[in-house]
Amino acid sequence: MSFIIRQIAKRADGGDIIRTRTIETPELTIGRGTDCDIQLADLGIMLRHARLIQLPGLMVAVEATGGIPLEIDGKFVNRADLRVADRPQINMASHRLSLEPGDAPGSVNVTAERVIAASDSADASAETEIFSLRGALPSKRILAWGLAALVLLLGLALPLFGLVGSKSPLPPAMVADAARPASNQTLTPARTRLQPVLDVTAPGPQTAAGPDVIWTSGRISDAHAGIANECSACHVKAFQATPDSGCASCHVPAALPDHAAPARMAKGMLVKTGMGADIRHAFGLNEGRCADCHKEHEGPNGALMVRSSFCTDCHTGLSSRLADTGLANVESWEKHPQFSPNLVVRASDTQPKFQRVSLDTKPSEASGLVYPHELHMSRTNAVANMALKQGLPAKDGALGCNYCHTPDSDKVRFKPIEMEKNCGACHDLGFARDGGVLRTLPHGKPAQVAGIVRDFYLSQALSPRANVQRIAFERRAPGRMAEAEAQSLRITSVAEARTRAGAAIDAIFSENGVCADCHVIGRTASANPAERWQVAPVTLADHYLARGRFPHGRHDSYNGKTGDQACIACHTGVTRSKLATDVLLPKVSQCGDCHGSSDVKTNVAATCDTCHGFHGSGDGSAPATAAPASVTIAGRKLPRGHQPAVASGASAAAGGSGWQGPTAALAPTRAGPTG
Amino acid sequence: MATKAAAPARQMTGKAVARAPRDTAHEGFLAHRNMLWAKVSGIVSGIAILAYLLIDQQPRPNGGTAVGYALGTLGLLLIVWLSCIGLRKRIITTKPFSLKAWTSAHVYLGLSLIVIGTLHTGFQLGWNVHSLAYVLMMIVILSGLYGVVAYVQLPAQLSANRNEATQPQMLEAIRTLDRQLDSAAQPLGKHEADLVRLSLEECEVSGGLLRRLTGRYPRCGNARALAEMQALVNAQMRERQPDPALRQILFLLERKDAGLAQARRHIAMKTRLEIWLYVHVPITIALLAALIAHVLSVFIYW
Repeated sequence: MSFIIRQIAKRADGGDIIRTRTIETPELTIGRGTDCDIQLADLGIMLRHARLIQLPGLMVAVEATGGIPLEIDGKFVNRADLRVADRPQINMASHRLSLEPGDAPGSVNVTAERVIAASDSADASAETEIFSLRGALPSKRILAWGLAALVLLLGLALPLFGLVGSKSPLPPAMVADAARPASNQTLTPARTRLQPVLDVTAPGPQTAAGPDVIWTSGRISDAHAGIANECSACHVKAFQATPDSGCASCHVPAALPDHAAPARMAKGMLVKTGMGADIRHAFGLNEGRCADCHKEHEGPNGALMVRSSFCTDCHTGLSSRLADTGLANVESWEKHPQFSPNLVVRASDTQPKFQRVSLDTKPSEASGLVYPHELHMSRTNAVANMALKQGLPAKDGALGCNYCHTPDSDKVRFKPIEMEKNCGACHDLGFARDGGVLRTLPHGKPAQVAGIVRDFYLSQALSPRANVQRIAFERRAPGRMAEAEAQSLRITSVAEARTRAGAAIDAIFSENGVCADCHVIGRTASANPAERWQVAPVTLADHYLARGRFPHGRHDSYNGKTGDQACIACHTGVTRSKLATDVLLPKVSQCGDCHGSSDVKTNVAATCDTCHGFHGSGDGSAPATAAPASVTIAGRKLPRGHQPAVASGASAAAGGSGWQGPTAALAPTRAGPTG
Repeated sequence: MATKAAAPARQMTGKAVARAPRDTAHEGFLAHRNMLWAKVSGIVSGIAILAYLLIDQQPRPNGGTAVGYALGTLGLLLIVWLSCIGLRKRIITTKPFSLKAWTSAHVYLGLSLIVIGTLHTGFQLGWNVHSLAYVLMMIVILSGLYGVVAYVQLPAQLSANRNEATQPQMLEAIRTLDRQLDSAAQPLGKHEADLVRLSLEECEVSGGLLRRLTGRYPRCGNARALAEMQALVNAQMRERQPDPALRQILFLLERKDAGLAQARRHIAMKTRLEIWLYVHVPITIALLAALIAHVLSVFIYW
C-alpha cells in the first residue's frame, strides 16, 4: 500500500523537472498547504483540497475535502471510487493528477503537473498590445480603406449608377406653367430671410429623389423646387455646363421673348476678353447663356438673382456698339440718366403723339385737358367745400389724391381717369328737370349734346309740359332761379325754340360754359350751332416711364408720411400746379433717397431689375413716340379723350416677382403705327 | 551639412565614432527656420481673405465663382501635397527637404487650409458630397492641430511619468509582483487566496479605448483586492496583531497598485499621443475619396 508521487515542474527553457518520492501510507492529502503530501502552488486549490484513499483491489477513493468539487472525466464530483487500472485523471484548478498502477504490486503512481500555464508568461507582442492603440482599435489601414470605399460608393458610384437609370417625367403642371408667357405665370413670390421662419412651408420636390441628389451644390430656388430631384432636367449632358436647351425645354421661347432682336443683341453685347474670359469661353461658358445670369442652387430666390453688372456690362457703352440705339448709356445706378417720361405732345382721338423728354428740360405736356391740381387740392376753397358737401373722400379738408387716381388691381399703376366717375360728382352735366327726372347731357359727344338740347326746346314749343325746368350752368343771383326758369321755358313758336336752342348750345360750349371748365373749346365759322363748337381732344398718359415699373402700392409710405402726404412727398409740385401742362413726375434723384442710399435706415435695393425687366423688354431701337389709334380695355371702348397712352415696348417684364403690367393685357389689341 | 563642413577642422581623435558638434540647441518643427512656413501660411491665408473680400463675386461667393475655382484648385493641390507626408516620412533622407522642414510646412500649410477651404465654400454648407469633403477636411485639420499640441505637451509628461523605466520594465515589475503575490498567497485560506486571485486574474493593465483614454479602471481586480485586503487587515488590527502574511500581501497589492497606476498613466498619455492618428490618417484617405467625388460630380453636373 504505497503512493509513488511524481511532481512535474516546467523549467524556464521548456524542459521538465520531475521529482519522485514514495509515500508508504494508504491515505494521501492534496492541497496548497505545506502539510499536504502533494503540495500544489495554485491559488485555485484549497489548503486541503482533496484526499486519496487506497482501497483493496487497486481501487482509489477520491474525496474533495476543501469544499470544491473535483473534475473527473468531465464530471464534477465530491467523491468517487476510481479503478487505477483505468488510469483516471483528476483535474483541480490549474493542475491535474493522473493515477496509474505502480511497478510494485499494490502501489499507485500519482503524477501531478500544471496543465494551465501561469498567466505571467512574458512575450514581446503583449507589450505592443498593452502600450499602443493597436491593441484597442482596428488598424489605420483598415479604417482608411473602409471609409474611402464608403465615401466613393455613396458619393460617386451610386449617383453615377443613377445617371444611367431611367428618368421620371417632369411635373406636368410646372412644365405647362413655364410655357405660358411670363406675365401669366404663377411666379413664386420672392422670399425674404424672415419668411421661412414666418411661413414654414417652402415648396418641395414633386418627384422622388435619386442617389445623385447628394451632388447638389446648394438649395435650389423655390421656383424650381418641384424639380429639385430631377438633376438631368437642367444638367443635360455630363461635363457640359447647363445649356440653354435645358431651360428652353420648359421655358419655351414664346414665353420668354428676346431682350432684343438676336442680331442687335449680338451687336450690342459686350464680349469680354482677357485670360479669365478666354478660360470661360474655352469651357463653353459664354456670355448670354441663361445660366450666365440665372445662377441656381443659390437659395430660395436663386434663379431670379441676377448679377447687377450683367446689365451694365452691355449698357455702359451700348451706343458705341449699337449706334442707332435710342437708349442712353448707363454705367451704374449712380449714373442713371434722368427720367425721360413718355409725354403727350399732341392729343388726338385717333393718333395721339408721344415723345420721351428728359425731366431736366422742364418739359410740359399737351394733354388737351384743363386741370389745375392746386385748385382741386386746396383745403379752403369751393372745391374743398363741394367735396365736403358731397361727402367725397377728403383728407384734412382737401380732395384725396385717390379720389381720381385709383390704384389698379395689383397696385402698380392707376386706373384710367373717367369723367363720370372721377369728375362727375361735382362737374355734373344735368341741364333740366323733367318732373322728378334729371336730364343730363352725355359726356364726350358734342353732336349728341346739340341734338338733345335742340329736341328739348322743340318739344317745349310743340307740347309744353309743366314741371319742366331748365338748369342753367351759368351762375345766377340767389332767389332768382325759379323766376328765370319759368320765363325761359315759355316758348311760343318753333322758330323761337330753334333760336333758344342755338343760344343754349352756344352757352354750353362757350368759354363760360360747362365744357370749358375742363376742355379747350374751339369755334368754327359754321352757322349750325351743332357744328360751331369743337372740343379739343384729350390724351392722358397712363405709363410715363414705359421701360420701368414703379409699384405705387409698395411706396405708400415715405419718410414717415402716409396717404396723400406720401404721394406729395415725391410728386412735390402737385399742390402748386396751376396748369395741366405741368409734368409732376419726380426726378431720378428722388429714388436715390432710399434706393442705394448710404443711410442704413433707408437703404433698399438699387439693382437694375428693381425697376427694369429683361426678357421681352424691347431693344430700344425705336423709342415709343405714339400710342395706337384705338385702345380697348377689357373689351370696353373708353370715352373719347380718355384713352390711355400705350407706349410700345412696355410689355410686362418677367424679372419681377408676381408683377404683370396692365400694358401686357393690352398688348393683344394694340394696333397702329408705333413711330 | 554642418557636420560635413566642420569635419576637416576637427582633431583626429583616433576614435571610430566622433560625436557631431551641435552648435545650436534643439529646434522643433514648429520653430523651424524662424517659423518660415508659418509666415508663408499666413501670407497665403491673407491673400485668400483679401481676394474673397475685394473681388466682387456674383451672385454670391461660393466654389462656382472665379475666386471659388481658384481657392478650390489651391486647396486641392494643398491637400494632395499634405497627404504626401505619409510617403515622405518613409523615405529616410535629408534632401530635398528635411523631414523637419516638411513637417513644419505640413502643419502650417495645413492650418492655412482652414481659411482656403472655408472661403471656397462661401460659408454655404448642406447635406451633400461637397460639404462632406469640407467636414472631413476640417476633421483632419482639427485632429492634426490636436496632434501638434499633443506632440508638444505629452512627451515631457510621458518622460516624467516613466521615471527612467522602460515599457518592458514597467510590465516586468507588475509581473514580478504577481509572482510574489502568487507565492505569498500559497499558505492563505480560501477567502484571502481568492482576493489575491482577483488581483492576479482579473486585472488588465490596458483594456479598451475608453479605459485607456480616461485611465479609469473601475473593475480593476487589483484595486478591489486591495480595498478588501485593507479592510481585512484593518479589522484584524482592531482586535489583535494582524496576520503578517496578510500584511505582506497588502504591501504587495499596494506596490502593484502603484505600478499599475504608473503604467496606466503611461498608456493614457500614449493613447492621447496616438489616438489622433487613428482619425487623421483614415479620414485623410476618406477625404481624398470625397475630393474625387466632389470634383467629378461638380463637373459632371456643371
